[in-house]
Amino acid sequence: MRTVLIGLDGATFSILDPLMEEGVMPFLRRLVARGTRAELLSTPNPLTPPAWTSLATGRTPGNHGIFDFLKPYETEEGIFLKLLSSRDVQCDTLWTLASRYGKRVILLNFPLTNPPPAISGFVVPGFVSYRHLRRATYPPGFYQRLQALLGLNTRDLALDLDYEKKGIQGLPPTEYAEWIRFHIRRESLWGTLLRHLMTQEAWDLAAVVFDGPDKLQHLAWRFLDPQCFPAQPSPWEQEIRTLCLEYFRQLDALLATLCALAGPEARIFVASDHGFGPTWDIFYLNVWLQQHGYLAWGAAGAPCDEEEGLLAMRMRTQYELFDWQHTVAYALTPSSNGVYIRVAQRPGQAGIAPEAYAAFRQRLIAELLAFTDPASGEPVVKRVLTREEAFAGRYMHEAPDLTLVLRDHGFISILNADAPLKRRREPKGMHRPEGILIAAGPGIPQGAVVPPLAIVDLFPALLYSLDLAIPADIDAQFPQALFEPAWLRAAPPRVSDAALPLSSSPEASTVLSDEEEAAMVARLKALGYLE
Amino acid sequence: MEGLQPRLSRETILHGVVQILTDMTADWEDAFTGPIGPETRLVADLAFESIDVVQLAVAIEEHFQHPNLPFQKLLMRDGRYVEDLQVADLVEFLYTHLNGA
Repeated sequence: MRTVLIGLDGATFSILDPLMEEGVMPFLRRLVARGTRAELLSTPNPLTPPAWTSLATGRTPGNHGIFDFLKPYETEEGIFLKLLSSRDVQCDTLWTLASRYGKRVILLNFPLTNPPPAISGFVVPGFVSYRHLRRATYPPGFYQRLQALLGLNTRDLALDLDYEKKGIQGLPPTEYAEWIRFHIRRESLWGTLLRHLMTQEAWDLAAVVFDGPDKLQHLAWRFLDPQCFPAQPSPWEQEIRTLCLEYFRQLDALLATLCALAGPEARIFVASDHGFGPTWDIFYLNVWLQQHGYLAWGAAGAPCDEEEGLLAMRMRTQYELFDWQHTVAYALTPSSNGVYIRVAQRPGQAGIAPEAYAAFRQRLIAELLAFTDPASGEPVVKRVLTREEAFAGRYMHEAPDLTLVLRDHGFISILNADAPLKRRREPKGMHRPEGILIAAGPGIPQGAVVPPLAIVDLFPALLYSLDLAIPADIDAQFPQALFEPAWLRAAPPRVSDAALPLSSSPEASTVLSDEEEAAMVARLKALGYLE
Repeated sequence: MEGLQPRLSRETILHGVVQILTDMTADWEDAFTGPIGPETRLVADLAFESIDVVQLAVAIEEHFQHPNLPFQKLLMRDGRYVEDLQVADLVEFLYTHLNGA
């Protein structure tokens, strides 16, 4: 069945529900009424690259290998930071599987899709700078068509890394309005492109991410959250809220258009990679590590942050802030909320001895959990997850040694400061585990609210919706609650024995003997796909 | 002993790198107007930023069908990131690592 996957990056019901009730998003309200809704629980560290990749693969980060935007490598030359790409996704995706089984795919603005997969269809990856957008679109030559359609505005589809960082770090009040208008324009472009492809091309799966909810909520949470918005707003505060509402009003209209284009015979899945909520804390983790003797700042010194910043504008700058010879534990990105522990591979190398690792890690966990807010005495770090707890799997060794869950779910800051904990002047929006799922279409119960689902569980639902077999070796459960029991009885989910290597032919796994089929059904039941 | 893959000459690698760089920078607003050659510098001449180096690494690995090249050996010296690179540096690095060092 034709399937539309609309990603709303960072969308949360705590913002969408009031917008639906206030009439800002009337279409979404109708979609919820004619479909099923659930909280969609993100990956252990609720973050765009691992979470969307889990949705697209049915694998947890420990098995797809994506934990963050960047991956640090300890090499003989030093700590080498690698920006992750589609080639770092260590298993098959919804798009490659669907394409391999003859489905036509439109894939727009998903992270970790550059270089683009050679699928049957069209790809414009997300998180690509304008300089590389032409080379990143697929198939070759499609970029010219895109330019003809969008003209000079094509540039707005691309990632401007510095602008993005500014949006997360914070903008001066004079730049808020343009930031929101930019995202209104940008979503409109993605909508235009998707509408064009849905009407001009054959397709079975149309997938797009609108990333504006994440961008607006990071910067402008206090204008969106009714709990935070002042009762007596200033004219500027009112202007920013009005613009935010304009963004969501347009998003609602885009959803309405795309769903109308898909038609009543299509299934619609609106999903987010993670939720959102307010954060007041800034926990300068490297300052804390330095105070505990685990990290040393570089000889040139590390200037103290005075702007409520989380990261340096240049990763290279951040890298050079540390004295690596005297650093055994460090945080390199706010987004990972992670601590890496250096283990010396030979005598004389910086790091702790391998045999001391377990005790060192345990001590670090205990000390982090004991860290309290001097003002209230309350613990700042709610949980510390070891990589075994958070990221068990084949690629666990590439994950941070520790992942922190802070009391208000904020990101850590990796900068230097004169104290390890500060309070923001105004709340910012930060990621939370509770994202959204709204599903509607044939076979999906109307007006239902079902218990929270794991983000990986959407993968088998999407494959099922596309009438494709579900690989048996994924980390997901088939979400039966999303489909009417009668529908599942009439068309039970099918399972293939495993996701194929990318070069394999579809025939290799789709045709099963009766015995294999029976074994699969048994496995299916064991995995919870069938009752 | 030689591997099964024929050794790539410096000329072949230079040709491939120039081809990639020419295509990559073709529609950049501040595109380099002169010919790209061994002495061309990525940052000073082609106005590369760090994100462009990442894209170049990916393009090189795809072009030469050689994943996981140890780019840290090219991009880091004495524990610090280098300020700039010449095309010739890149070619020499690739000559060493594509030919099995």
